[in-house]
Amino acid sequence: MTAAWTLVAVAFFALVILLYVALRSRARRFDLEKADLEKAVQAFRSLDIEAFRNLVDSAEEAFLRDNLSPKKFREIKRQRAWAALIYAWEAGGAATALAKIGQAAQRSSDPKIAASGVQLTENAFRLRLQTIGACFHLLTEVVLPDLRSPSLPPLVDQYERAAETLFRLGRFSSGRHGFISR
Amino acid sequence: MLPVHWQKLLSLFLWIVPHVLLAILAVVLWRRRLYREFPVFFTYVLYEVAEFILLFALYSVSGDGKQYTYAYCATLLLSIALRFGVIDEVSKDLFRESEFLKVAARRSLRCVTGLLLLVGVVLAVYAPGDNSVRWIAGVSVVNRGAAMVQCGLLLSLLLFSRFLGVSWRGAAFGITLGLGVLASVDLAAYALRAEFTSKVGEEFLNLLIPGTYLVCVLIWIRFLLAPELQPASPTVVPHDEVETWNTELQRLLRD
Repeated sequence: MTAAWTLVAVAFFALVILLYVALRSRARRFDLEKADLEKAVQAFRSLDIEAFRNLVDSAEEAFLRDNLSPKKFREIKRQRAWAALIYAWEAGGAATALAKIGQAAQRSSDPKIAASGVQLTENAFRLRLQTIGACFHLLTEVVLPDLRSPSLPPLVDQYERAAETLFRLGRFSSGRHGFISR
Repeated sequence: MLPVHWQKLLSLFLWIVPHVLLAILAVVLWRRRLYREFPVFFTYVLYEVAEFILLFALYSVSGDGKQYTYAYCATLLLSIALRFGVIDEVSKDLFRESEFLKVAARRSLRCVTGLLLLVGVVLAVYAPGDNSVRWIAGVSVVNRGAAMVQCGLLLSLLLFSRFLGVSWRGAAFGITLGLGVLASVDLAAYALRAEFTSKVGEEFLNLLIPGTYLVCVLIWIRFLLAPELQPASPTVVPHDEVETWNTELQRLLRD
């Protein structure tokens, strides 16, 4: 009896999510104008590379671990991981916006733009998937601040590069709002 | 409660109309040559129409007797298999523009499928439902499990596309949405059917499932008949702009 009602609840939940995501996706399907570009530029600009570097710096973390009480360390580590997670999430949002711009570029009648659009899309998808992985990783740190993950350094490097790149892109794109039109 | 003859008429209406619409949809798919892009979906539509003709003929001759029940269960299993084929087809269509996604997203979808199958099997073992007629209950459990896997897969596809910013084509989107609605209602209906055997509940489910099917067919018709929207055309994107973004991203992803 319980199993049946659980399945009904799951089905209902799935139906609601399905319709919500479907309607949102549909509404935004070709809504690739100023909003997306501005979102990307804004996301790039919001990434403060120095602050991000500080948040994920392992030396900084070691210093905090040595000089703070375990309780205080956990609290600070959680806050740092949470802030880094927000950075990664923003970077992911920027990647999604870039993917949309890339996909629009693919449909250009100019073969050069179309070819660049293909590459841009591929790279944006890669970055997006990486940010999703990183968000899961940082979420683990938020939940388990004492956990010392061996895979953290490459991830940190990757995110330093991501932030750096996105920051450069943000500067690069400034003053070019609204250059995509229907 | 509806009077018996009204309920019967409504059931017949909900059984016949979606299949007539599906036959029309098949003609449209053929005339627009969409069967080339969605061959499995086209096969599924034709199969559903043929299945209806067979079952309706059996029902007219012998009512819902043994022959009808056997035919219903056998055709249902093939229908489930074809729906998996349709999901595979729309996922290929969704990731058609990216070589990277073809590999990465499909690998992720395979993991999701494995996980959902595991849950389906666990569910079949621990919540088998009413066992009064074992093999019919078995078919019901299989359908319920399949609906859950299909529902999860379609949901994953929509979420992937949203997270990654992948654009849907109208036809593939419509097929996914219709199938998703059908799978989620199927999941709820078969879960209830396996547990509750009261007459009122049975009558309600007998109207709910074909009613949902009608909605699903209408969604397919709406999306497959509508002209494909022209995407935003980046006519004034400077080439060097796209190129530079691309170079920056490549630098980022190199290691």
